[in-house]
Amino acid sequence: MRRTSFSMVVVTALLVACFCGVLMATFGYRGAGEGGAPYIARGAVETGAANLVSAIYLNYRLYDTLLEILVFSVAVLGVRFYLAEQKGSEEEVARIPESQVIRTSADLLFPPIFLLGIYLVLFGHLSPGGGFSGGTVAGTGLLLCAVALGADVVARRFHEAALERLEWGVLLVILLFALSPIALWRLPLTDLFPRGNLGSLASGGSILIYNALIGLKVFIGTWVVVYSFIRHRGEI
Amino acid sequence: MIARTTLLMFLPLIAVFALTRKRRLAAVIGMGMFSLILSAVYLLLHAPDVAITEAAIGAALVTFIYILAIRKTGRLMVVGDEVPGLLKREGDRITGLEQEILASFSKHLGLDLVVHLRPRHEVEVALLRGEADIGAGGIVCTDEDERFLATPGHLPTGLFHLAREGTTGLRPEEEDERVYFSDVLEAIRSKGRGSCTLDLARFIAASRLDLSGYAVERLAGSFSYVFLLTRDREDLHQRLSAHLDRLRQNGELDEMIRRYFA
Repeated sequence: MRRTSFSMVVVTALLVACFCGVLMATFGYRGAGEGGAPYIARGAVETGAANLVSAIYLNYRLYDTLLEILVFSVAVLGVRFYLAEQKGSEEEVARIPESQVIRTSADLLFPPIFLLGIYLVLFGHLSPGGGFSGGTVAGTGLLLCAVALGADVVARRFHEAALERLEWGVLLVILLFALSPIALWRLPLTDLFPRGNLGSLASGGSILIYNALIGLKVFIGTWVVVYSFIRHRGEI
Repeated sequence: MIARTTLLMFLPLIAVFALTRKRRLAAVIGMGMFSLILSAVYLLLHAPDVAITEAAIGAALVTFIYILAIRKTGRLMVVGDEVPGLLKREGDRITGLEQEILASFSKHLGLDLVVHLRPRHEVEVALLRGEADIGAGGIVCTDEDERFLATPGHLPTGLFHLAREGTTGLRPEEEDERVYFSDVLEAIRSKGRGSCTLDLARFIAASRLDLSGYAVERLAGSFSYVFLLTRDREDLHQRLSAHLDRLRQNGELDEMIRRYFA
């Protein structure tokens, strides 16, 4: 009885908070302040990236993003470290028989999803997207394959130790790459690469390279997390 | 503007839906729906980058990881052998009195019931290994075992000792060597040697076969069917006992028993 009334209080409080939020969002929205105006005015010219969001987080605020990648790596490490303590399901887990519907839809959906992921990574500086979201989309596509074919079938195609080395190798490359301008005493960062024509794939200088590296890193990390969960918490 | 407000209005509704679900899977799917609508809101607020990330991570990846994480905790694992009337496979469904009791119990807890049919003597092993939460399938508790807790009996029964005539003096460990109950039935049908102890429900099923040539002895004492739990699952044991009490008091248990043992 006490638990019911407690959850009622929580639910009511949430309802009130959400209602206030709706009211504020509807009537109190004033638009962005003027704080970012200089970036909006100069961003595209200075960085060569048509997508201002990419210009901010991979150029002006690159070091913020760098630490975010580190956070992601630590999260992946945590999942791997903690789940390694739990014993994996070695005995035969009753497997769900392969469904023709899932199989066929995975065959149909995997190529476009993976392609979308790559597109989001490569065109992150021109249109919405970027390494983080693109890598996750591609990783989710792989997840779909794991659901349809069984995780072990997909995992067998990857060499696990090599994957791990690649993951940390990519992180190292990102770090070295981000620190190299300081070592070369050259700021801002885009100076290392030509900016290119605004709107073409080669524009944006180093943003494209960062996006590709981050995309690869997130893709591997997503797979590692999901595969650890599958192996230690039960078959899909 | 109207679309954005409508979607924003949906958000608290779905949040409440997810919060009030007892079944974990439903709550996780509610969270996924929340993320999906939130990503649409981001899109309408002219933040496509955030919308894509929210859809990929919030709606797809996190939902999936939650589903994997609750796979083992969100269900009540039951092991037991087949018993006519108590736990019986019918096509791809399992029916019976114990199945019905456990189904109402798992619904009460907000868990998904998973029943695995295993040979009788493997039930204790599975419980001790932690592979299952509850042992069922016509378990009759004859002596106290310090490793297990038994619930109060939900149905009175009797025990019958079956032995092939002329094979007296069998060592006790040769009893119950046969695996599934269907194997026992098969052995009786082919007049196999050896002996076994059967409870009432199984004995009724076995007595439909020709029992000539077997010495049948009813064991003295009063017995009843119980559910078996390991000693470290004291809280689950208490809850199941309380649930059985509740079923007995509001007459649901009698109703179920009537349905299967009219």
